[in-house]
Amino acid sequence: MLLFRSEEHVDAWCRKHAQDRGAVFTPQQMWVVAEEWFKRRLAPDWRRHSLQEAQELFERAGLTGDFWRLS
Amino acid sequence: MTTASEQELTDRDVRLFVYRDFLANGVPPSLTDTARALRITNAEVGESYDRLAAARVLVLRQGKREILMAAPLSAVETRFRVTLADGRSRWANCVWDALGVAAMLHQDATIHASCGDCDEALTLTVQAGKLERADGVVHFAVPAARWWDDIVFT
Repeated sequence: MLLFRSEEHVDAWCRKHAQDRGAVFTPQQMWVVAEEWFKRRLAPDWRRHSLQEAQELFERAGLTGDFWRLS
Repeated sequence: MTTASEQELTDRDVRLFVYRDFLANGVPPSLTDTARALRITNAEVGESYDRLAAARVLVLRQGKREILMAAPLSAVETRFRVTLADGRSRWANCVWDALGVAAMLHQDATIHASCGDCDEALTLTVQAGKLERADGVVHFAVPAARWWDDIVFT
């Protein structure tokens, strides 16, 4: 889960590490997920998001398709 | 013999202490620190760490009861250093977690990151609950269903 200067740098990293290209998206989409995911982490009654809640969160951020399927 | 609800209360107290102490000091508490602070035994804390790791709340160092990650916080240096509005700086595990530090603390933050390929400095800035500056693009190499096969790599 890394940050890169550009998509060209993602491709260079994938070649260097013999990795398939995964999902490339914007920091703004990452913020939508991170904000919801962590905003209650310090609450005494915090609980993990359910798979369904997590899936819905990815969809709200526009992260859809097989890559984002949790189950 | 403790009941399931007693274990849940212990796990809640351990979780809250670990986060509070980790945030205060920049490094996670040892098992002994946690036991002393909560006035419970090392064995009880160890069992709680194991349960919290099984529940994917904590990540422990392999074969040890030492905290490596309490997401979004990292016990080791990474590419993601988060500087908070109150002046503290903390390491985050990944770009998701770096933004998560600002979200968790409801604070403005500047994330000093670097390109995973060429190491050039990249900056993300959160202000008033919005991402105001956002250099670069995010890449996830591992599909969501396999993130926890090897969370350190993910």
